[in-house]
Amino acid sequence: MIFFLFRGIFRDKSRFLFPFSVVSIGVALVVALVGFMEGVFMGMIDMTANLNAGHLRLVNKPFYDEEHLYPLDRALAAQKETKRWLKKNSTPDIEWTPRIRWRALIDVPDANGDTRSQTPVVGMALDLKSPNSSEIRRLQLAESLVKGQLPQDSNEMLMGNSLAKDLDVALGQSVTVIGQSFDGGLVADNYLVVGLIRFGVTAMDKKMVLIDLADAQSTFYMDDMVTDWLGYLPSSLSFDHYVKAKKNINSNLNTWRENPPKDWAKDDQPIALSILDQQNMGSMVKTFTVIKSSVVGIFTFLMILVLWNAGVLSGIHRYGEMGLRLAFGESHWKLILTLGIEGLLIGILGSIVGCVLGGTFAWYLQEVGLNMGDTFAKSGLMINDVVRAQLTLGGFIQGIVPGIFASVAGTLVASSTIFKRSEANLFRELEAG
Amino acid sequence: MNNNLISVKGVSKVFKVGEENFTALRDINLEIDSGSFMSFVGPSGSGKTTILNLIGGLDVPTAGNIFFKSTKLSAMNRNQMAQYRRKNIGFIFQTYNLFPVYSVYENILFPLLLSGSKEKDARERVMNIINKVGLSDQVKKRPSQLSGGQCQRVAIARALVKDPLLILADEPTANLDSKNSLQILELMSELNQQYKAAVVFSTHDEKVTRYVRREVGLEDGKIISDK
Repeated sequence: MIFFLFRGIFRDKSRFLFPFSVVSIGVALVVALVGFMEGVFMGMIDMTANLNAGHLRLVNKPFYDEEHLYPLDRALAAQKETKRWLKKNSTPDIEWTPRIRWRALIDVPDANGDTRSQTPVVGMALDLKSPNSSEIRRLQLAESLVKGQLPQDSNEMLMGNSLAKDLDVALGQSVTVIGQSFDGGLVADNYLVVGLIRFGVTAMDKKMVLIDLADAQSTFYMDDMVTDWLGYLPSSLSFDHYVKAKKNINSNLNTWRENPPKDWAKDDQPIALSILDQQNMGSMVKTFTVIKSSVVGIFTFLMILVLWNAGVLSGIHRYGEMGLRLAFGESHWKLILTLGIEGLLIGILGSIVGCVLGGTFAWYLQEVGLNMGDTFAKSGLMINDVVRAQLTLGGFIQGIVPGIFASVAGTLVASSTIFKRSEANLFRELEAG
Repeated sequence: MNNNLISVKGVSKVFKVGEENFTALRDINLEIDSGSFMSFVGPSGSGKTTILNLIGGLDVPTAGNIFFKSTKLSAMNRNQMAQYRRKNIGFIFQTYNLFPVYSVYENILFPLLLSGSKEKDARERVMNIINKVGLSDQVKKRPSQLSGGQCQRVAIARALVKDPLLILADEPTANLDSKNSLQILELMSELNQQYKAAVVFSTHDEKVTRYVRREVGLEDGKIISDK
């Protein structure tokens, strides 16, 4: 019976095409929009995680409390022992990497050794020289090199492309890092600029330099010390996984603090954070989820509204058919059920087509991207200039479910008018029509 | 043996039209036997269609009762009423009311599918009745490709295919020319003999009255003659 009715739907284009088109367009818009929003947002999360927050972060609490001041004296000692402890006390899918975040003046001398230009910079020290360093892959440094090469010897530096332009620094230029050592003394150390990097994030291109971790430990007198341990989980995992991993590490840390490494200061108190605890990311994730849900909700509501009206119009058009079916002895419930199934079928077909259309558009944005560098230039956001969509199963589900729901709900709401009418009323309209 | 198929006892039907009450039927009493071939005759507004709707279980009387064999229709709930129509009643309409998107074959198949038959099981039965109404060369055509007379033949086949006990035909010849009307009446008369289903017309067409074996005259909702 149901296949018989479907045959009728497909033959009657006025019944099929409009709701099908509404669902297809609605689902396509939701899939494309959710894909784009996910891409932009997850791009920002990934960028923040890769650069300085990690998915997880182990940091000394006194350092974290004043990290805007970059207090190197509150860095965490016992690097090797900490590495062993982290490996032992966290799940094997977490990859831990040490970092030193620092701030200093960069002084560019002229031929006579006098200052030609100078500016404060934000620096990050990380493993740049190990063969197969995961950091180079994570920050895509090889791909981001505009000129030069990655550091291979001691005291070599990578500099943001825009920063180099502002300072008028060319490859091979020696610059002086003037900052504060671990124990509060003034340090000045020379570095050779061997590579210019375009991170693709305006805020970083204008202010950032990268040096090797061992060089930073030497420059700032931080032997066996780092400011951060950043932990990276597979990117497919949800935020809940970060929180769970953080809780697990924090509970183990309580035991470790009772028997700390001998190089720790008395008030050293390492804590584990997830990315959601840093840089207001948790609140941003919540806001993003609300915005995304609202967008999906609004589209679903609009689809229901349009399909409801289409259903009512189609229902009026079909009063004759309904009256006839009731006259032949089809029960009201069965009639409504078959209309619901019609809606379901149209919803499924429309959703499939919508997924293909929206998915293709999102895939194009994922592969090619959209350059919004001019828009982001002055925003200071840690976001890639080329924003990309992200096609995920979740994105498709967020399109398909409302598409099917809207189609069925729209049909059923419209059908309720039929349900309320008596057979005789429908029959009279059938005769009149 | 009691041969009564339908008993109408003291039935009245009042419609509310705005603030006014319109009485369509007043205290109707009659019986319809199995296999009968009869018509309700009267001018527009005399209550012909209303009495067909009440007998067909599409509407309920304001007063009085209608019995199908010994079962009181007003005691049935909506589902039982739907089942009553599905099993026992065939409808034929003035405007044919065929499904425009389905072929001749599919239109006739529809009531059987509704009764729970499978398409492959129903095929032979449908083809038989199509042959009987003389449309075997029109099986795949849609209603829009048929003449009025052919459409009414499809409607007759559709009403008969589930082997009902009663066929209610509301002005079945009103949209047909004389020649087609006579052919349709001949056909219905033949099928009435063959299938033993009672056929009840509502009509003001004199040609119909020449064919039926019983004619009930209605005027202003009252029976004025029964011959």
